[in-house]
Amino acid sequence: MKRCYHVVAIPIRIVLNNFGDYNPNGMMYVLKENEHKVRELVKKHPFTPVDLVQPLVIRANEGDEVEILFENQLPFATGMNFQEADYDVQTSDGANVGVNENTLVDCGEQTLYQINAYHQGVYFFSDLGNPASSDQGSNINGLFGALFVQARGSSWTDPIKGGCIESGMYADIHHPFLPSFREYAWIFHDEMPTVDLTGNKPLDPVTNQERESTHAINYRYEPLENRKKLIDEGVVCPDCDGEEVHHDSWVFGDPASPILRGYVGDPATIRIVHGGVKETHAFHYHVHQWFDDPTNQDSEIFDAQAISPQTWYDIKPFYGLGSLQGAIGDAIVHCHLYPHFAVGMWGINRIFDTLQDGNQCYPNGVSIDALQPLPDRPRPPSPTKERPGFPNFIPGKVGCKAPRPPLGIVGGRGLTELEKNAAVRNPRPGAVFADPCAVADAPVVKEFNISVIQLPLIYNRQGWNDPKGRIFVKDEDIEDVCAGRKEPEPLIIHMTAGTCIRINFTNRLPHVADGDVFQLVTRTYEVGMHIHFVKFDVLVNDGANVGWNYDSSVLPGETIRYEYFADVELKAWFFHDHLFANYHQQHGMFGSGVVHPRFAKLLDSCSGEEVDSGTQVTATQPLIPDYRDLTLMVHDFAFLYDKDGCPLNPPKFPSSPDDPGLFGVNYKCEPLQFRLNTPECDPAYSFSSFVNGDPVTPILHCYKGDSLRIRLLQGAQEESHSFNIHGLRWKSERPDVESRFDSQQHIVISESYTFETYAKNSGDYLWTFETEEDLWNGLWGLIRAYDEEVNFLIPLPDQVAPPKRTQPLPECTGSPPAPPSVIESAAPPNAPLKRFEIVAFQIPILYSNFGERDPFGIVFALEEDMNDILKGRKDPEPLIIRANVGDEVEVHLTSFLNFNQFPYLDGIWPYPPVKEQAFYPPSVRISLHPQLIDYDVKTSSGETVGFNPDQTAGPNETVTYRWYVDTPVGTCGMWDMTDIRNHRSLGTYGAFIAEPRGTEYYDPYTLEPVNSGAQVILVNPLLPVTREFVLIMYDGARLVDKAKQLIVDPVDGILLLNEIDPDLVDTYDNGSRGFNYRTERLINRYTKRAVLKDLFSSNVHGDPSTPLLEAYKGDPITIRLLNPSERRRAHGFHIHSHYWNSDDTDLTSQVRSFSPEIVTGFTADLRIHYGAGSFYNLSGDYMYRSGNIRWDLEQGMWGIMRVYDALQAHLPPLEK
Amino acid sequence: MPNNDGYYVKAPTINDIHDQTLIKYFEDWVGRKVIILVSSFPFVFIGVIAEVIDDFVVVDVETTSISQLEDREWFIHIHDIEVFYIDEGEGPRIPDLKDGD
Repeated sequence: MKRCYHVVAIPIRIVLNNFGDYNPNGMMYVLKENEHKVRELVKKHPFTPVDLVQPLVIRANEGDEVEILFENQLPFATGMNFQEADYDVQTSDGANVGVNENTLVDCGEQTLYQINAYHQGVYFFSDLGNPASSDQGSNINGLFGALFVQARGSSWTDPIKGGCIESGMYADIHHPFLPSFREYAWIFHDEMPTVDLTGNKPLDPVTNQERESTHAINYRYEPLENRKKLIDEGVVCPDCDGEEVHHDSWVFGDPASPILRGYVGDPATIRIVHGGVKETHAFHYHVHQWFDDPTNQDSEIFDAQAISPQTWYDIKPFYGLGSLQGAIGDAIVHCHLYPHFAVGMWGINRIFDTLQDGNQCYPNGVSIDALQPLPDRPRPPSPTKERPGFPNFIPGKVGCKAPRPPLGIVGGRGLTELEKNAAVRNPRPGAVFADPCAVADAPVVKEFNISVIQLPLIYNRQGWNDPKGRIFVKDEDIEDVCAGRKEPEPLIIHMTAGTCIRINFTNRLPHVADGDVFQLVTRTYEVGMHIHFVKFDVLVNDGANVGWNYDSSVLPGETIRYEYFADVELKAWFFHDHLFANYHQQHGMFGSGVVHPRFAKLLDSCSGEEVDSGTQVTATQPLIPDYRDLTLMVHDFAFLYDKDGCPLNPPKFPSSPDDPGLFGVNYKCEPLQFRLNTPECDPAYSFSSFVNGDPVTPILHCYKGDSLRIRLLQGAQEESHSFNIHGLRWKSERPDVESRFDSQQHIVISESYTFETYAKNSGDYLWTFETEEDLWNGLWGLIRAYDEEVNFLIPLPDQVAPPKRTQPLPECTGSPPAPPSVIESAAPPNAPLKRFEIVAFQIPILYSNFGERDPFGIVFALEEDMNDILKGRKDPEPLIIRANVGDEVEVHLTSFLNFNQFPYLDGIWPYPPVKEQAFYPPSVRISLHPQLIDYDVKTSSGETVGFNPDQTAGPNETVTYRWYVDTPVGTCGMWDMTDIRNHRSLGTYGAFIAEPRGTEYYDPYTLEPVNSGAQVILVNPLLPVTREFVLIMYDGARLVDKAKQLIVDPVDGILLLNEIDPDLVDTYDNGSRGFNYRTERLINRYTKRAVLKDLFSSNVHGDPSTPLLEAYKGDPITIRLLNPSERRRAHGFHIHSHYWNSDDTDLTSQVRSFSPEIVTGFTADLRIHYGAGSFYNLSGDYMYRSGNIRWDLEQGMWGIMRVYDALQAHLPPLEK
Repeated sequence: MPNNDGYYVKAPTINDIHDQTLIKYFEDWVGRKVIILVSSFPFVFIGVIAEVIDDFVVVDVETTSISQLEDREWFIHIHDIEVFYIDEGEGPRIPDLKDGD
């Protein structure tokens, strides 16, 4: 079917909320039929949100051809670049890339885009005519939208009026064979330039400083700061503080941000789209869970999900709205990054239990819009006086804080008549209007007594501390913890699937939190325990204060009773306070529950006694392998002081959300600056327990061969982290054996992951949060697998008992360990052996045709290439080596590093910076750590860790590693682990590709066999001949320009920047970036020719310096994508008009045209569907790029895949 | 006799014999405890073999993956069984599994 839309890009004033905050220079796509109307409405209502001012959402069905007549009324050339779609880049790319025809549209002009939709999902579209990340860019000002592609045969109607709609963020989707469902667009965007009603920059009434930048949904946001002003002025809720009522509709009425409405049980899909430019956000949706991959029913269960710029996900909540328990009420939906949440990035999913026909009102008298019941669902009952339905049975007072729930608070009130009429048959504390535990017949009840307390937390041996730590603790442990007899750690409670959980939760915090250099005085007078994953009654048991719900928190000295149901074996479920989280979550107010398989018993790993809490336990279960269970909770914004009381990385002013403080994992950190205990202060031994002792961070103790479950959560507060375990791997989707292996996971606050793995060998395995700033500041620890019995660890009951101890346990000696005497191979004796003689040496690296270079570059290279590189006959590029499944790999690595060739010989590395700078002199040792493949960590992990032997090479020394490619894991990052401060920015990384058995590799231009290189042709007797392109997405590089001046990216590369805000960038935004030691910064092109629309044009500027990927149309293509570099800002990746399975090993995984959340350790294998040129095998230039407008694209993170239709003299065709 | 495509098929086929052997085996152990794994939800059954009807094993299920599906008879098609173990009295005992024990 062909669908036609006439879309206009227009300038528009965007009013973002009812307080009149607005973007005077907004831009949007709008259907032509609405253009005049929206302009007139905005003219009439300059300070009120106008419904039609919304991101354009249009719809089509799978298989449809969509024709867009695009008209530009903006004062620069624009276009519509569609992701996921098939189209001809010469006519419909909505861009001006390479040597393609320009498909941007000048002001006042029109063009016709024709795209085809061959898979369901979100076809995000945005402008590439003005890629500036500054306030004058197009994306930052709102020029984005989405085409939602439905199942073939679908139709859609207006949820309020019924009847067909042409566009709109909300629709009811119908299908002849499938259930109707509510479809909600949830388009995150960030950094939109915003002023308040008066035209000033919005201020925070607490700090009197500018408030956090705009983080919005669908052009709306509802900042705490605005609402707080009404409290401060006595307009509403005079006894309130602010944050605890931020989401309270009883106080303020409903927010301007999205309210997704439905009836309990309605099937629904939230299509979350990131239309913003910079941040990786954390989507969290109270009460509900969904599959990570909606097309794969074996995929992992999520209730919080990171999303990076220009990516999307379909959220299909299990059991429909209200989940399994049929919870009615307001379920808040928000970005969980707390500064974003506070500044307004939230909305509500409102779940009604009675029919809304347009005649009802909310308690504040505001009319409730009608809501058409879904045609295939039972019609909800009409409201009556006795049963008015949510929210009108709740005895709240408009203008005051939401009422406390009935029954829950010890000594509290009972039910009113209206509440009784609305209640379940057996109302009880925590389960009044939904009864989650009734799902099972007489489930086991597990009760916990939990309090929140304030106490000092000591983070490390150097005395870094948080004097105002706030933690969850079991009541029976309070005395021991406060007396120092028990180490404070995040509270992890354990239960089995099918358990009804009851919590008696007591607030033992002081009424008022004192002010200090980090925070102003705050009345944190109430607190709740908000839970994720488990089933509960959202009205009374959310541990929050949301919409027209009750306020389910308690005052100091009070106890509230909560009840939840763990319906199935879950991962670890996150809990935290939802009332004053911006104040005290980063002080440690987070914990987790772990739902183990039914019939599991949890034992203290030392004594063997049964336990129900602890970060490290042993689990036994009669039907599955017993396992060790370790929970790691990472957090940022940790407000720490040194032992002398000096604050560490304090903000510029108290209560600033601008990345204050440092980091912790389970309330500990082991900074590398304190681990230089060799005479030479050599960073190469920073992880060595022989030299520096064991870290204070968690060490998971196990025996060789033990099964492990690592629970990974983030407890606070705003930033992305990248978790890696060196030497272990796990299935990316735990329930799905077909999913790929991973050894890295990006995480943001509130996400939860469980990694199932096992300790194949004895030794010390390093776990890290691997981005440079995290690792530098101490986010790492060990998994220690013993080969002989120790008296502090019970053996797993179903394992063969470990042998009695014959050797004493190793101890800290203060000296580096010796290299291993024998390097055991993991490979079978007859495995084919591949040897690589690798050298590491210093050489200037030219990063672009504009003369940008790293004069101090360090590269890994094959020894046979070293001379050519040094003599300038061969360009340095990241070392990429390959071996096949079944191969044993022997690496001989030699260091030729010279101390005097480092840029900062005084041991202080200023740029790219990290928080808490300190002395850390350059190491002249080198190592090479590989991901995912098999080896013994004691000899071949490429790092000197714990009590393992030395695995690094000093100058003119050679170290040997033996690796085994036991399974086709595809892309593996490789990097140096001797000195993460002085080496990584200079290029000490590469890639190892594990290819299928029997593969041969050829140079794509000479057809000669090769054993390294980023671009090869793969020939395998059983597989198609394939072009392989390895793209190493790097960040954090330290480059200089032609004049030898340091390039301070991203600031030096920002287009159309009028003024430089000194707080514009975070530490982890710094550094230059691109692919494979190359970059193509747009500022150079703009300086040469100041025409925005030509920035990506090779006709004007020549081809970019980044790798040119060349193929003939239809050539099979695999892209190996990885990021082995260092910065914490997550990236997205996209190739125009091409798509692939999100998991290359699982043919049923979702098809999409992006890879998300790319940070240190990320790897992916992108097998492009239909080969070069996609479905139609069309020739042309296809841009590959980051999805981050701010600050990747401008800074050079883009390139071209060139697909030819005619034979080229320089590029031999693939032999079929 | 020829089938619909005109091919001659020897009856019973090897699959018939295979099925019949399994049916007979389950019939022989009616009243004994069994653990059965299947590839679809709820994946595991533990209970007592009540009877065998045609090629269905009727199990009085004490334990499966979620409690809501327990304490009832399940009719399990023999073709769906991936793995089974019958407590014949000599090998390892199938444990009694109770929530909260």
